[in-house]
Amino acid sequence: MKAIIRWLGLLCVIAPQICGQQQPETGTAAAIRALEHEWTVGQSRNDNRALDLIFDSALVYVEYGKLVSKGDYLSRIKREPSGMDQIVPEPMTVQVFGTTAIVTGTYVEKQLLGRRHEAMRWRFIDTWVYKKNGWVLVAAGSAPVAN
Amino acid sequence: MWNAAWLVLFVFFGTQAATAQEMSDSEARSKIVALEQVAKLQAWENQDLKMLDELLDANFFYVDPSGKLQTKGQLMAFVQMANSLQFLTDAMVVRLHNDTAIVTGLYQIKGVVRGRPYVSRGRFVDTWLRQEGRWVEIASLATPER
Repeated sequence: MKAIIRWLGLLCVIAPQICGQQQPETGTAAAIRALEHEWTVGQSRNDNRALDLIFDSALVYVEYGKLVSKGDYLSRIKREPSGMDQIVPEPMTVQVFGTTAIVTGTYVEKQLLGRRHEAMRWRFIDTWVYKKNGWVLVAAGSAPVAN
Repeated sequence: MWNAAWLVLFVFFGTQAATAQEMSDSEARSKIVALEQVAKLQAWENQDLKMLDELLDANFFYVDPSGKLQTKGQLMAFVQMANSLQFLTDAMVVRLHNDTAIVTGLYQIKGVVRGRPYVSRGRFVDTWLRQEGRWVEIASLATPER
């Protein structure tokens, strides 16, 4: 009886870790997709509080040869008038490696420059890591897609 | 008296654990810098596909400076078909997140591909993952300077 209880106890300890690794990828992938969506919505609404929760404190963002920290990125979002830029996400792929997830995809950035609308397509790679309080974005980078 | 002794032991072991963690992180950073600056660059320059195969995970993705998505196979084919490639990096920083490492830095690629000159410079962001004690690269993005 003691042996059974011991095995059950061991199973309780191990099960969450196994689930963490082999959890239906769809579950983790869906969570990451939801966070990507939160990011887009948070950015369009200049909602720094929402973005602060999903960005790791050591987040690095690379765009057009520039390296941007979390603080710089949030400051930029705060400064920009709401709705100035429109981000239109396109299909993305989520790959899960245990407690790390890689998201690749494209999006179109629409900007109003004076009276002129300009659209630019970007391809991105985002890296999410599962930490104490859930999944957080640790790195993001995008490159302009050549015509 | 006993409380003071326990406190001393607690601080001692706590400091030991913190030092061990710092050493481990420092070793990991050195290892990744070596993989980036030596192994990866040599693999590109010498068209060492075996080395590249060991460095890159099977599910590796690369976004090149023109915004094109490449798989591991496509990147290896690009390296193989190049007439010559020189890959330089600078200002590299490694940020550790448990078994994940994010590397950022400046890059410069010069070479000849399909008989045409190939030049690109900008900034990169690479993601490495520690799998069974070995670091493998799972994603890389190079974005050109504006």
